[in-house]
Amino acid sequence: MKRDLKFEITYPYSPEKVWRALTDPQAIAQWLMKNNFEPRVGHKFQFRVEPRPRGWSGIVDCEVLEADPPRRLVYSWCGSGLDTIVSWTLERVADDTRVRLEHTGFRGLRGWMVSRMLGKGWNSKILTQNIPTLLARWSGEGPVPNVPEAQCTHR
Amino acid sequence: MLTYHQAMKSLARLPSGDVFNAVGDPTRRRVLDLLTRGELSVRRIAAPFAMSRPAISQHLRILLRARLVQVRRDGRERYYRLHARPLREIYDWVAHYERFWQGKLKALGAFLDQEDRKREGGRP
Repeated sequence: MKRDLKFEITYPYSPEKVWRALTDPQAIAQWLMKNNFEPRVGHKFQFRVEPRPRGWSGIVDCEVLEADPPRRLVYSWCGSGLDTIVSWTLERVADDTRVRLEHTGFRGLRGWMVSRMLGKGWNSKILTQNIPTLLARWSGEGPVPNVPEAQCTHR
Repeated sequence: MLTYHQAMKSLARLPSGDVFNAVGDPTRRRVLDLLTRGELSVRRIAAPFAMSRPAISQHLRILLRARLVQVRRDGRERYYRLHARPLREIYDWVAHYERFWQGKLKALGAFLDQEDRKREGGRP
């Protein structure tokens, strides 16, 4: 069962070029968010959204968990009430690079909801028309494991 | 394409914790499931459960606070019915997160193209 967000995409560039786009702070700022990233395990950094959206600090707290150039980059992602993991895996395919992006580790109640919804492959039609089915499936499942909600340990 | 500002703004508007809490409990999910068949009295809702009426009422209060059910009084009976909109809000939030990354991967591709063009342009 799909319980996390997973994406796969191939770019017509070498893994080295893609790696640079994933790890150079100025490059990251251009396609993702402003940041103070360094490709060093244990480095704590933040993504920032400016101007700050109302009701949110505009900050995602992160820590580099793995950095293996130009193959794998993993960081924690703590923001919007979720304590999760983002991982990038790069694989050379001829002259191209296959990139796998996974956003995993949805925990606590919110994570439980997210993973259930992703797992059922919901779309808005399912949700509006098949709420009975959905609830029936849910009612068969036990209580949500008592996992602490979005505790960002490295704040 | 969804800008990151738009996406993050919507991510920040997480549905209230009450909704997550309400559906986190298996009894309350079963109650919601019962209510998909239509409006029911507290007595009818409580019937399949091996728990006291006050205990069920407590669950109904939590569902009410999360706006997942609506209540109507008729004489001494209270009737509950499902209100699915908060579930829809959670769904929308999840969908936004998926779209957020789809947009970012597209932006990464555009960035790589742009860098490549710069390099090409720099060649004699």
